[in-house]
Amino acid sequence: MSTRRRRASGRVAYPDAHGTLRERTVQALADDTLRGNLETAAASWGESRDAMRRDHGLDAMRDRARDIRRRNIRELPALLSEMQAKVREAGGTVVRAQDGAEAARYITGLARARGVTVVAKSKSMATEEIKLNESLTDAGIEVVETDLGEWILQLAGERPSHIIAPAVHLNRGQVAALFREEAGTDDVPDDREGLVAHARVRLREKFAQAGMGVSGVNLGVASTGTVCIVENEGNARLVTSQPRIHVAVMGMERVVADWDEAAHILQVLPMAAIGQDAANYVNLITGPRREGEADGPEEFHLVIVDGGRGALRGTEFEEALSCIRCGACLYSCPMWKSVGGQAYGSPYSGPIGAVITPLLEGPASPASRDLPFMSSLCGACGEACPVGIPLQDLLVRARARASSPATRRSAVAFRAWSRLWRRPTTYRACMAGWRLMLRARGKGGWVTRLPGPGAGWTQVRDMPSHWPPRP
Amino acid sequence: MTDPLVGELVASLARRKASAQVVPAAEAARAAARAMADAGVARAVLADDPLVGDIGLPDALRREGIEALLWPTALSRREMLGLEGPEDSCGVTVPRMAVAERGTAVLGASPGHGRGIDVTNRHHVALLPAGRIVRTLAEALARTFADGHPVPSAVSLVSGPSRSSDIEKISTLGAHGALSEHVVIIT
Repeated sequence: MSTRRRRASGRVAYPDAHGTLRERTVQALADDTLRGNLETAAASWGESRDAMRRDHGLDAMRDRARDIRRRNIRELPALLSEMQAKVREAGGTVVRAQDGAEAARYITGLARARGVTVVAKSKSMATEEIKLNESLTDAGIEVVETDLGEWILQLAGERPSHIIAPAVHLNRGQVAALFREEAGTDDVPDDREGLVAHARVRLREKFAQAGMGVSGVNLGVASTGTVCIVENEGNARLVTSQPRIHVAVMGMERVVADWDEAAHILQVLPMAAIGQDAANYVNLITGPRREGEADGPEEFHLVIVDGGRGALRGTEFEEALSCIRCGACLYSCPMWKSVGGQAYGSPYSGPIGAVITPLLEGPASPASRDLPFMSSLCGACGEACPVGIPLQDLLVRARARASSPATRRSAVAFRAWSRLWRRPTTYRACMAGWRLMLRARGKGGWVTRLPGPGAGWTQVRDMPSHWPPRP
Repeated sequence: MTDPLVGELVASLARRKASAQVVPAAEAARAAARAMADAGVARAVLADDPLVGDIGLPDALRREGIEALLWPTALSRREMLGLEGPEDSCGVTVPRMAVAERGTAVLGASPGHGRGIDVTNRHHVALLPAGRIVRTLAEALARTFADGHPVPSAVSLVSGPSRSSDIEKISTLGAHGALSEHVVIIT
């Protein structure tokens, strides 16, 4: 089935992202604080992740993880039916939503029907995708992000810049300023421990009020109808144990067959995501609280979101559905490390975001059609992926999809280019001409402005006029 | 003579920034109460598991001047969350199992064992019979979710105290859940 024939499934990218992709990228590149924060984050992730490769054989776990996820996607309809039946057997409600709007409508309607005034959320990219906060807020319901990083962003009025570490682009001073503003007092400590303790108390006030908890789902286990929610802070457990209602939002591809498969993926996930052999808390939830139990939600709702995923099965993009959202491809991507996730204008940034955002939105979406070009195709993402998604290949395919049908002009230009570079003599002549031009324009070893189509390239960086470049 | 799994678990827990001690059953209650007193705990919320009474924990706590409440407690939600009443509370759990290679306690929800006991309180003490230690996560999950057994409404895998790296990527303890975790391994 061709991906081009299906209808666009609605918006994934943020509708209120400012400017164009190019404008956001140029702005991010000019922000030295942001770059410093991103580099620190990526470097510390790299060190921890390398320790996992060395001490726990993370690389050797990849083949099995890939096989499991490929099989899950092939058997997806059957796994989802089983999951659905088991959740219902355990007393939960299952809703299959065709798109994000339908999912958000269901959850908002449920909150309204139950008289919920405060919703406590744990971190979930799927709820970002379905724009749940906007929907609940429009209905007059207060939504509180309880993951520390997400709460910081909510206070800042910003979007997450990383799947796992959403506020990775802000530093401690910026966080303290936000907390002072929220609390309406200067009596907020400056040190990290103090800031964390402050947030703990402020958010417990919200947990005491919340009538509904909303979480994402890292994995669904079909054989028992269990949702797995992986976290470090403990807020997801509070979200799933304190309020009267728990709603779990799951992308339809996040399901495995049984506990043997789940055990493997649950081990790979924290290693790739945070460079640790275990996350602090893994919450395995099967339906609402049982008779006689004194805590836990009285109602459990599992909302399974298609949002354009189902249509990717059987296409050249099917492998993208294997993703377990660990964020390793983001941290390893030179493009993401330079501009951060916010420039992408989508909840899903980095290489995987550049592939799936336009796929989920449909090829006509102007908000995401250029995303596959946010890559140098260096292949670091494919190498980092713990479930072996060939991200660089998917990026090339996504580019082809975004560029076809080709315009007459680009078809002629590419044909001419290919004719020139296919013959050694003409190729060498091109290179000689290029070198002469660089030397003629270079000052102190660097070219700061290129003419014609090269102008965009030198807008945000310089090109060496000699190789190797002079320091 | 000691089970190698015990040593492995103790080492893994240390890596996860949790503490542990290995004691015979006769000394378990005193050791647990001592650990809580040292942490300044004023109130303990105890899972209603036979083990808690068998080792005599409620009495040992009283001797240390610590209020002991058995699950389910009559506390309000605000009291449970430490917003009212003593801040320095401790949840006492009895894990179904523990995973030696990664320092994970497997907590199962039941009428006697609330799913929030370990995270609502400021400190967490787990009472773990040494015979319940397995080596890998796969073994623990296979046993917990084995065919034919009823699946618990909630199983929590707990690997050390709560932490967050959301501020400057530096791990800071006590984000939402327990600030400290102490495992009393009972031989």
